[in-house]
Amino acid sequence: MVENNEIELSEAEAEQYDRQIRLWGLDSQKRLRASKVLIIGLSGLGAETAKNIILSGVKSVCLQDNEVLKEIDLYSQFLAPPDKIGENRAEASLVRAKALNPMVDITTETKAVDSLPDSFFTTFDIVCATGLKQEQLERINNICRDKNKKFLCGDVWGMFGYMFADLVDHQYSEEIVQHRAVKRGPDDTEKSGAATVSITVKRRAIYVPLQNALSADWSKPELRSRLRRGDPSYFVMKILLRFRDEYNRNPDPAKRKADTEILLRMRDELVKELSLPVGFISDALLTDVFGIVSGAAAVVGGVIGQEVVKAMSQREPPHNNMFFFNPVKCVGFVELYGQ
Amino acid sequence: MVARIAGVFDEKLTEAIANSKILVVGAGGIGCEILKNLVLTGFPQIEIIDLDTIDVSNLNRQFLFHKEHVGKSKAQVAKDSALSFNPNVNIVAHHDSVISNDYGVSYFKQFNIVMNALDNRVARNHVNRMCLAANVPLIETGTAGYAGQVELIKKGLTQCYECQPKAPQKTFPGCTIRNTPSEPIHCIVWAKHLFNQLFGEEDPDQDVSPDTEDPEAAGTAGKTALSSQQTESGNIERKSTRTWAAETNYNPEKLFTKLFGDDIKYLLSMENLWKKRRPPTPLSWDNLPGKGDAPKQHSGLPDQRVWSVNECAEVFAASCQALQTELKGRPEGDHLVWDKDDKSAMDFVTACANIRAYIFSIPLKSRFEVKSMAGNIIPAIATANAIVAGLAVLRAQGILKGEIESCTSVYLRPKVNHRGQLFVPERTLTAPNPKCYVCAPKPEVALVCNLKHLTLKDLTAAFKDGLNMQAPDATVEGKGLVVLSSEPGETDHNNQKTLEEIGLNDGCALLVDDFLQNYEVRVRLQQEDEENSWRLVTDTDAPMPGPKEEEPANGSNGAEEPKPGPSRTHHDSDSDMEIIDEDDNGEPMEKPPKRRRKEVSDEIVEIC
Repeated sequence: MVENNEIELSEAEAEQYDRQIRLWGLDSQKRLRASKVLIIGLSGLGAETAKNIILSGVKSVCLQDNEVLKEIDLYSQFLAPPDKIGENRAEASLVRAKALNPMVDITTETKAVDSLPDSFFTTFDIVCATGLKQEQLERINNICRDKNKKFLCGDVWGMFGYMFADLVDHQYSEEIVQHRAVKRGPDDTEKSGAATVSITVKRRAIYVPLQNALSADWSKPELRSRLRRGDPSYFVMKILLRFRDEYNRNPDPAKRKADTEILLRMRDELVKELSLPVGFISDALLTDVFGIVSGAAAVVGGVIGQEVVKAMSQREPPHNNMFFFNPVKCVGFVELYGQ
Repeated sequence: MVARIAGVFDEKLTEAIANSKILVVGAGGIGCEILKNLVLTGFPQIEIIDLDTIDVSNLNRQFLFHKEHVGKSKAQVAKDSALSFNPNVNIVAHHDSVISNDYGVSYFKQFNIVMNALDNRVARNHVNRMCLAANVPLIETGTAGYAGQVELIKKGLTQCYECQPKAPQKTFPGCTIRNTPSEPIHCIVWAKHLFNQLFGEEDPDQDVSPDTEDPEAAGTAGKTALSSQQTESGNIERKSTRTWAAETNYNPEKLFTKLFGDDIKYLLSMENLWKKRRPPTPLSWDNLPGKGDAPKQHSGLPDQRVWSVNECAEVFAASCQALQTELKGRPEGDHLVWDKDDKSAMDFVTACANIRAYIFSIPLKSRFEVKSMAGNIIPAIATANAIVAGLAVLRAQGILKGEIESCTSVYLRPKVNHRGQLFVPERTLTAPNPKCYVCAPKPEVALVCNLKHLTLKDLTAAFKDGLNMQAPDATVEGKGLVVLSSEPGETDHNNQKTLEEIGLNDGCALLVDDFLQNYEVRVRLQQEDEENSWRLVTDTDAPMPGPKEEEPANGSNGAEEPKPGPSRTHHDSDSDMEIIDEDDNGEPMEKPPKRRRKEVSDEIVEIC
């Protein structure tokens, strides 16, 4: 849990963060300033997430990545300059990440997550992971859980994206606006009207780990009923995570045709496995999943960034526990899985 | 090359992007994000327009700008930063207002899509009209705090920005501001008016002295108060506040005594006002509450501490002196412009508003809070801007793909709705309002006024404020005679004449057009003896903006980013009417260059 440190904001901080302090208040800003964030994977989504978190004014951000910058990253990865292709993605992003907000301490880690000890992850207050396999995500999630640290992960494939959050046992305050009839004054000349009064309430939310959410049992009636009104994004995510696990890569734009066929086959298998209605997962959702489209990275990175701000500032209800962006309908929604 | 890697998009979209040209209007929070997305995606030709320069308070979200850029052109710096993401695209930056002759209909026509990332309604209305005239799809965006929206505007296909009248900016009756404030905002508006009276552009509608014509006070002004006022400060009532203040050399004590002592005593003498209200308490300079007190313990930002009345008086004195010095440094006849980011101007308004609040037993506010209200600040954060800009560029891709019909409005909600949705798309496009005074084929509106009183100058104001025109021209329908001309000086000699005096009567129609906006509307005059000023009425029965009254708050650059909200509702404000010149094919017609009507300059009188 991030402690609200009592050191007042400097004049420079107050000036730079003025517009957001007016939204989320000074206490939130102070909590943010005490937060240490780890971002795993400096793809376009990682860059978008890092940008939003760095701008918000956290204490520190560590950029972890062991991959090198490729041409395809330039489609959405604006922190790494085009002339750094072939260099480590995190290191290539460092200069611009620092320039976003010199008040935030930014470091890099170039070791692969598998070779990093458990203790590495728990030195942070919150971990945001992208581009990892399911097994890696679950490992880091469980490490964080054990030490009561927050964990988020997400991905963007083409225009599609998702986010998962495990904030463990999360306490936060929420501002509730109430409408009350009020008298304007002792005179009757001005009508009495409804005034809005906002009160702050304390709340608590309990989260489940990623493995629960990813192994949701679709034979259960409560999930079956979700199919009727539902959106197939959860399954699209499952298919794409499976593709990554199986082929050790993401769908490749250079193999657009062949990979689309694989994805559609995997879709058919999943439909059979979970006895989903045929046609529930449309082809359209699986054809625009190549590379990382900048607009989609901005959208999902915006959501993840906002969830980090909510989690660290302990203000406003964070999403529990999955967010999906369905680009075909341009809808973004939150659903709870695995509870 | 652009649309850089084959296979990310299908071939059709890849090619459409490679051949596209996009205009981004505004390089603020959303504009920076849109520009980044366009450049990364490989949109090859982009132009960006913004008249603003970079401020420190932008840096928490306008991520293309850094501390060393403060004071520089947003458009230019945004261009330079974005090019570093992808040097292969072509960006043209204009440090300029989009409301300018340089960006006419033919300028707009060269773009496949225009993307609005603006922070004010005037510019939004203008770009709306330009895109309708040029028949170019417009993607309109906005955020406020956690919320936001993306909306497509396409002539004939969707409603336009002005199809639904928007809620007028909240205004306050003059007598509430001058005589009977009951809320902090009333005192803040008064303090901003006072600033203008003393240092800014003098506006007779922003008088700050007691309003003796307050109907509620009718005939109660006590003679004692009047005479004592005269003995104390002479004939100040007949002099402008500025002249009087200048004569005293802006002596803080004398100003204070008049504004917060004598004027309040005078108000007290209007006894009817205080029969049911708590009467105000005049203050005297020598004996102010809080004098000698130690500053209160305070945690939080220094600006969040509420000052004592005595502190307010000290700040009042210091800021008066600073502003006077600043004013003296200007050329003769020049004036200051209130700006929430100017220290002395903001100090002055905070101090004056709070002193007045104390007098009227209204809660005092911190400088931080007063700044929000006086500057009309809408909080803005990086994440909401990123999301809205991302959605906007995805919508732009949809349009280029030929799927414009599916590009419905999307709302970013501050919290998920009952269906768990955070981004809520509308199911279908919203059809144009056939009665829209802007995008209807033949726009029309009624101007209700008293022809015996409304002058030509008022008429110009009605077209500018009510119809959001920049430079209206008006002729009498069927006669072709010029009532108003946008040519400087051409019709000025008639400014003080009433509509009746120049021969306009009930029921006659004016063709009013704005050449720059390529917009024409038919305005029917409707006589109403009781109408003191003017009002515009459309067939939609929705209220239209009236004459400018007390504005609650409008900082130098207005609202940061506009108020989004699920669909504009009918009680929401700012309307105008607009006609786009159309020939029978529905294609907008280019107007002849503006030099027409020169020959008719003197025939303005006696028509109809």
